[in-house]
Amino acid sequence: MGSRLFKTFNVLVTSLVLLFILAAVGTVLVRGIPYMPASLKAPELVFAIRLSLLTSIVSTAACLLAAMPVAYTLARYNLPGQGIAANLLRIPLTLPPVVSGVCLLLLFGTTTFGETLARMGLRFVFTVPGIILAQFFVNLPALITVLKAAIEAVDIRLEYVARTLGCTPVRAFFKVTLPLIRNNILAGLILTWGKALGEFGAVLMLAGATRFKTETLPISLYLNMATGDMEALMASAAIMILIAVISLAVFERAGVKLYERVPGL
Amino acid sequence: MKERLSGRSLRLYRITKKIGEFQLRNISLEFFPGEYFVILGPTGAGKTVLLEVIAGMHTLDAGEIWLGGENITFWPPEERLFGFVYQDYALFPHLSVRENIIFGLKNKGLPLAAIVQELNAVTAMLGIAHFLERFPYTLSGGEQQRVALARALIMKPRVLLLDEPLSALDPCTKETLQQELKRLHQLTGTLYIHVTHDFEEAFFLADRVGVIDQGRLLQVGSTVEVFSRPRTAAVARFVGAENIYQSEIILRDGRKYVTLGEALLQVETDLTGRAGFSIRPEHIQVNSLRQPGNCLPGKVVSVYPKGFYAKVIIDAGERLVAIIVARENNFCPLFPGSLVYCSIAAGVINVFPL
Repeated sequence: MGSRLFKTFNVLVTSLVLLFILAAVGTVLVRGIPYMPASLKAPELVFAIRLSLLTSIVSTAACLLAAMPVAYTLARYNLPGQGIAANLLRIPLTLPPVVSGVCLLLLFGTTTFGETLARMGLRFVFTVPGIILAQFFVNLPALITVLKAAIEAVDIRLEYVARTLGCTPVRAFFKVTLPLIRNNILAGLILTWGKALGEFGAVLMLAGATRFKTETLPISLYLNMATGDMEALMASAAIMILIAVISLAVFERAGVKLYERVPGL
Repeated sequence: MKERLSGRSLRLYRITKKIGEFQLRNISLEFFPGEYFVILGPTGAGKTVLLEVIAGMHTLDAGEIWLGGENITFWPPEERLFGFVYQDYALFPHLSVRENIIFGLKNKGLPLAAIVQELNAVTAMLGIAHFLERFPYTLSGGEQQRVALARALIMKPRVLLLDEPLSALDPCTKETLQQELKRLHQLTGTLYIHVTHDFEEAFFLADRVGVIDQGRLLQVGSTVEVFSRPRTAAVARFVGAENIYQSEIILRDGRKYVTLGEALLQVETDLTGRAGFSIRPEHIQVNSLRQPGNCLPGKVVSVYPKGFYAKVIIDAGERLVAIIVARENNFCPLFPGSLVYCSIAAGVINVFPL
């Protein structure tokens, strides 16, 4: 294949893919945006938006707090069985979210562990904390992968040098490694948050789909579809698309190119 | 600066450390206060790992490290405070030159006035005051090296560890910085431990040299001693004694000889039986006429010009490598096939046990 033909082929496929995405997203936006002003006054949709924002922000923060030490362990230490552990940690990444939801439902709904937690007041089945837990479980491995790759890309000798200059390991991490992976963290966070906002399968299985209780935006969309309320359905879908596009634009402006700077994606 | 430095020696006692497939094996070595010690070895010999072990970056599998009377084996790097300059300098890319240099002093929590005073002193010493606001990626290799040295020296380290600090530089910058390192060492009086694979660099800088290969310390001594009297074939090969052979030591008329090809060469040694011997290329004199003493006839195989000198390969029953400086070459025109006489003084033949 000549270089000109090769280039033409690549550009053509790119244009077709772009067109396909724009057509799919555009259809919802064109049909959904006119219904948005009225829908935004509906208490149910406002509830869903608020719950989605709250749960996705909390689960994203929880993912960051858990993913950072795990990623550092996988990137920097040489422990026995580390390779196996890394693969086990990736399991939720490859599971269908519905199956992840079933796993959580069985663990927290049918075992002594789950019952003990429930007696202590930590109930996850059909509750808002269940939404957060489902989002956390599904999204954690992806964030670990992003952060692990980012930490590995920082030369460990920078931390070594920092330690010869008086830093403890923790201080060396915060003063040297963390600033160097700042962009990767931001990119990982926006990806995690976006996925949490749209998480459906696992949330449905663990937290259920109860109006005004565990009704996030995707759940609201599902309920509207089930009841045939097409106006509210299109409004919810349009809102989710707008949130995704706006957050992408904000992070692009902040200098984070999600798919270009994140190693390992 | 000098009066504040430690006068304690640093001792490594039977150090063993395995990292992956590589292992440092039973290394014992004493570094004297204020000396310039060069660890010489080929790539993969374990030089960097040894430096990192000294700095405290890896816990030992066995052995001890002592600083004066203190056992510092289990001290973390932040307590040892040994300065470290890596081959590619490992400057913090997100910090300016100024922030890189004062990084350690800020960790110490020194008052700003004291930090500025130390910064001014170290930047004046290294001549880098004019690019303090720049970032590492904008600096040349030589400039980065000076910044890395400043960052380490501003902490007034007990020991300065240098991991092949000159290997990434062009020949001209390398020579300048080699002189700079020597000057800084004299100025600070700190113990410098410098690893390199370049024996010319070691010869220029070192008070003493240690040769390491495959994780083992092969020989330690003054530069002259290690270069002219290597104790094993591996050391001889590494320090550039390109003529390395084995022979029975023959006693005849109260004198000792070794055989090289068909010829007998008189040597000065206490050894008997089978031994190895090495001759540095620059110690072989190539002549057109037979000379008294050890003299081998041979035929030039090839001549490799190297600027001011030439490397000559001679077939004298065994392969001999000699170095001829240009002016001597005029007295003995050398071409492949020329018949020559190789004169080797008994005193320059280094005999070592096998």
